Amino acid sequence: MGIALEARDDAQLIRLEGSIDINCAAELKGVLVSTLGAGRKTGVTLEDVTYLDVTAIQLLRAAEREAGNCGAAFTFEGQLAAEVLTDLTLAGFDKSCFAEAANSEG
Amino acid sequence: MAIVSNVDQFKQSFREEARELIVDLESALLELNENRDDMELVGRVFRALHTIKGSGSMFGFEGLAAFTHDLETAFDEVRNGRLRVNAELVDLTLSAMDHIRGMLEESADEASAGEAGRSAILAGVRRIAGIGKRDEAQPKIVVEEPKLPKDKLEDWRITFAPGPEMLLNGTNPLLLLKELRQLGALSVTARMAGVPPLAELDPERCYVSWEMVLMTSASRDAIRDVFIFVEDGCELTIEPAPAAEVERDSPADRTARSLQEHRAPSSGRRNYDKPDNATSLRVPAAKLDQFVDLVGELVTVQARLAELAARSEEPEVAEISEEIERLTSSLRQNSMNIRMLPIRATFEKFRRLVHDLARDLGKDVELTMEGVETELDKTVIDQLGDPLMHLIRNSMDHGIEPRDVRLSRGKRATAAIHLSARHSGASVLVSVSDDGGGIDAAAVRQRAIERGLVACDAQLSQAETFALLFQPGFSTAKKVTDVSGRGVGMDVVRQRVEGLRGTIDVASEAGKGTSITLRLPLTLAIIDGLLLSVADSCFVLPLSSALECIELTAADIEHANGKHVVNVRGEIVPYIRLREHFSVSEPRPELEQIMVVETGEGRFGFVVDQVLGNCQTVIKSLGRVYRHVQAVSGATILGDGRVALILDPDRMVQDALRARASPRVGGSA
Repeated sequence: MGIALEARDDAQLIRLEGSIDINCAAELKGVLVSTLGAGRKTGVTLEDVTYLDVTAIQLLRAAEREAGNCGAAFTFEGQLAAEVLTDLTLAGFDKSCFAEAANSEG
Repeated sequence: MAIVSNVDQFKQSFREEARELIVDLESALLELNENRDDMELVGRVFRALHTIKGSGSMFGFEGLAAFTHDLETAFDEVRNGRLRVNAELVDLTLSAMDHIRGMLEESADEASAGEAGRSAILAGVRRIAGIGKRDEAQPKIVVEEPKLPKDKLEDWRITFAPGPEMLLNGTNPLLLLKELRQLGALSVTARMAGVPPLAELDPERCYVSWEMVLMTSASRDAIRDVFIFVEDGCELTIEPAPAAEVERDSPADRTARSLQEHRAPSSGRRNYDKPDNATSLRVPAAKLDQFVDLVGELVTVQARLAELAARSEEPEVAEISEEIERLTSSLRQNSMNIRMLPIRATFEKFRRLVHDLARDLGKDVELTMEGVETELDKTVIDQLGDPLMHLIRNSMDHGIEPRDVRLSRGKRATAAIHLSARHSGASVLVSVSDDGGGIDAAAVRQRAIERGLVACDAQLSQAETFALLFQPGFSTAKKVTDVSGRGVGMDVVRQRVEGLRGTIDVASEAGKGTSITLRLPLTLAIIDGLLLSVADSCFVLPLSSALECIELTAADIEHANGKHVVNVRGEIVPYIRLREHFSVSEPRPELEQIMVVETGEGRFGFVVDQVLGNCQTVIKSLGRVYRHVQAVSGATILGDGRVALILDPDRMVQDALRARASPRVGGSA
């Protein structure tokens, strides 16, 4: 698992890798809160993610909602691995949860 | 640290649930052995194995899960009609249950201890089920493709909202959904409305809930089994889905519901108190005992208040006292009800015992049960296992004849043992009956004379003769076997049953069989009693045995010519005067009262000075020093602080009768 924060010109990129689950949920929340608090455009890459558990899904969804509420840009980037997408679908999560990642995959 | 303790707690919860599942599984296996084409039983066995495996894996019992995997596969083969149940498969699975019991308790260091035995079992199961060598080399858990059973399919609407602690306990709700898919075609929608704003979100708590429609032939219980280890900590509903609703659940509707969901307030909290919430709660027995103890203390204090109110001239005090008495009585009744458990689990355990003993003794025995839903106090249930086990072992070893003897007597080759339970007033009657050779009363008498328990010329009734069987070390068995014959078991039965304030009744007919009935009190903690007084002393008589109260006049005493009997509407009733029985020295009053009670020996009267009235009685043990005092079953503290002895009417009457008959016949059963 891995959570890395990269700065771009006018944006910040949160790079997620491996299994994103309850073991790193607190860390992910901290990164999301600080990134959104900075008021800059935020991107989250999911292409290297091998597993997303419920904690990760609800954190990402909450962050996306919060960004929407305060008019900040928040996007998912990269292709979501097919197995992860299958897992999400089987667990009843709408593909639109991670719209860009899912769309770019499809 | 909190996570560790929660995981431990859930592991313990899994152990408890798994032990219960194993009892049910053993019972289903033994029934299956008799009805090998019963697919419902096959389904029960499969589901139990599946749950043990799946939940074992979830809670970190990987070794146990891997061990159970091939057993589950074998019964899946049976389920799909590719394998027939045979005695070897049943026996191997029963042996596997013994290992699983051990694996539930053992630490990681001990895990290799029973490995050889487990490997032998698995080898046998794989041979029978034809499980390939590839699987043998990799006994890992695989997620099977959903199988749509061929039976009648039904749609179930399931809502599942994990409790706040579920993720911390190591449970992954997504794995539960995967498990559900194995029962049939599953349509799932995750609900995110409960996810709070990011700042308020506890990252280790689950806010997502799921709505599902499952098309399956599995029963509601089978679906519920998937959630068996998390049910107490989640909101779960399983309802048949109307056909129209299932068809309506199109993508468009899901989108519409999703939009509606977005409008819903996201409080992040759920109502765990709504009526269709999980309906049972697992509570440690110690907490329950403590609760009942506290209710007992409350009853004692309430009695003090009632005493005080009776002396007070303030009408308001009397009113409050009555109100508290009413509430205390309801609370007592409720707390007692919480402790009541059906006897089913205790009975079911004996299927295995009968199966194993029948095999060891080379006898065919069929076990039948009746009244398994009869409820008893948890303490009574806990202590009932040993006496019943001894009775069954004795019956199988000595009561039931060998097959050739049975046939020569014109009996069925397969013998019968029948366990039954039923309520009778404030008691429960639990019986063990067999259709064996019956008790040889002459042999019992002869053995008793040899042991010096009775005189050669003693006149014993049948009941007195059978009571000798429960004397320490008494056995008429010609040889001691592994099963019984040392005369220890029946003595243990007597001690345990008496410890429970119960009695034993033996009925036996030579050549036809024996029935031993244990009469046990419904509860051991608090009873309704009648308060009696003799001079300054108070006694409590269990209300359940009291029939009526009549006056004993000087004329009645004179008519009886010095005998302790009284005429009650034409019936001669013998009586015991408590004043004499307990050596109370004060002179007796002009007019006495007789409490007529029903005992195992018929109607008897207890003569007292006064019957003071009803009282809720918290039973306190008299302690080790007074453990040999037979006529009382405990003591209680009265409202004014005095101690009253609780009478055991049956024992008092038996003592009185024994004193009147042969003094050499020991304690009756």
